[in-house]
Amino acid sequence: MTAALLVQSAVIGLSIGSIYILMALGLTLMFGMMHIINFAHGAVYMLGAFAIYYVYFQWGAPYFAAFVLAMLLLGAFGYLVERSIYRPIKGGVEPTLVALLALTTLLQAAGYPVFGTLDKHVPPVFSGTRNVLGVMISVERLMIIPIAGALVVGLYLFINKTRMGAAMRAIEQDKEAAALQGVNVNVINGLAFAVGFALAAAAGALMAPIFKLDPMMGEQPLLKAFIIIILGGLGSIPGAILGGLILGLIDSIVATALGAEPAFLLSFVFIILLLLWRPTGLFGHAL
Amino acid sequence: MPSNARAATVFVAVVALLIALPFVGGDYYIYLFALVFINVILAASLRPSLTCGQLNIGHSAFMCIGAYTSALLAKNLGVPFEVSLLCGALLAAVVGLAIGYPSLRLRGVYFAMVTVAFVEAIRLIASIWVPLTRGNAGLSVPKPSLLGMSLATRTSQYYLALVLMLIVLVILYKLERSRLGLVWKSIGMAENLAQSLGVDIANHKLLAFTLGCFFAGVAGAFYAHFIRFLFPPEFGFLLATNILVYNFVGGRGHFAGPVVGAVFLSLLSEPFRGSPYETIFFSIVMLLTILFLPGGLITLPGKLAGLRRWRPTSGTYAPPASA
Repeated sequence: MTAALLVQSAVIGLSIGSIYILMALGLTLMFGMMHIINFAHGAVYMLGAFAIYYVYFQWGAPYFAAFVLAMLLLGAFGYLVERSIYRPIKGGVEPTLVALLALTTLLQAAGYPVFGTLDKHVPPVFSGTRNVLGVMISVERLMIIPIAGALVVGLYLFINKTRMGAAMRAIEQDKEAAALQGVNVNVINGLAFAVGFALAAAAGALMAPIFKLDPMMGEQPLLKAFIIIILGGLGSIPGAILGGLILGLIDSIVATALGAEPAFLLSFVFIILLLLWRPTGLFGHAL
Repeated sequence: MPSNARAATVFVAVVALLIALPFVGGDYYIYLFALVFINVILAASLRPSLTCGQLNIGHSAFMCIGAYTSALLAKNLGVPFEVSLLCGALLAAVVGLAIGYPSLRLRGVYFAMVTVAFVEAIRLIASIWVPLTRGNAGLSVPKPSLLGMSLATRTSQYYLALVLMLIVLVILYKLERSRLGLVWKSIGMAENLAQSLGVDIANHKLLAFTLGCFFAGVAGAFYAHFIRFLFPPEFGFLLATNILVYNFVGGRGHFAGPVVGAVFLSLLSEPFRGSPYETIFFSIVMLLTILFLPGGLITLPGKLAGLRRWRPTSGTYAPPASA
């Protein structure tokens, strides 16, 4: 592998990693507060991409308007899911997980009659290439990094500097104590669902112009996000960011050298070995 | 006990009906019910692991291992069906042991995520190991045989499926009713309490999981020789979810739950088998069951009876108001 190819895979890995981070952050946030894994995250990513297909490509709205709309709509959908699935089940972890699985398969399968069975493509939003350390990279892929970075910083500020973010951290530490202090646990859980769904929608919306669109497109990013949060430790936000960067780089460099499937198998083996050594991931707290 | 006697009567009657089915039904029903039997084995084999509180969303991976092992042994080496079936099941169990050992030390969600990733890993191996499995071009498989006789007719294959299902169900039922079954249940209900009473949690979970993998391998091996064509994407995440759905829709509180769930869903979804509407149907039934009938279908007769004898103050099950 030449140095140029290495730089290229590293930059592409960074942009793929940013997508993985957006996916993993929502998952880890929701896990930290509610101890559930949102299996529907991949389906939400898919819906985010299709929102771009319809609103930006078919109806001709500006890309950023379509992007924000996708986040808002799917954020609202997240709140609805909390209200209609998570809350009625009242915290039974297993039934909640299975209900979220059923929601996932429902959204994926419904995608075929609704969106059609043919793969869809969104034309490029940013054209051209740019020279990065002597390697030409498409602007489309480069732009993912600052946009995802801005969303991560936004999430960080939201969680650490606002009252609602403080309420989220309080629930993560101790749900009962937070409720006794006057935190409306249901509403804040709903907010976490909304934030997680909106981030997954943003990830899908960013990838829409790069990959082909089909109802199952969310499965791979979901699995990657799982591997990231196992790697970084469930519930840990720095762990998700670091894990996302590591996996993005492994993915891109190994995939360039060996192909995409061996890269996935390798990351899976890596996770099994990591779990043997550290059952709670790199940053995870004891379960 | 009268309820046990009634259950035994129902069981014998159902088996008699199933034995009689090929004489009254056509080839279509024979084929359909053999598929239902495979689903019943898959659903029931997930139960021990679910009883221990482990959410395994990767059961189809072990079915896949059983199917490919048996198919390849029979096709390439001419191994008789009864041996290849056993080898498929054993390899599924061994792989289950290898995956289960690191991941079962983890609690619920970690384990669930590992199993989801594992399904994808196995599916990928089956797709990209083209020289062995022919990948996504699909693998054709010889017909099953028994003691040297080829089971060429659908009717003979139907009886083979019926016998396999009954053997698996009897073994799993005996295990559930044994001391081991009680230990599994105790782990599922209160893991820390069971541990404090001296139960070896990790090994019991591993045993339940490995056993489930073995029987999933049995189901896969039979499936391979019955359908006679293996295609890696069929063993993906969706099939694994369906196996879980059989258990939850049927009900987890009773041994008959997964059986009822598998039969009910397989038969009702038959008109749209293989289309997206099958999955849509499964998912909606699943969501409705979890939200409105958390105990699953097996609690339905009791609930209906409770409605009939309804008194304003109590149903069949009334949790204390202060809980």
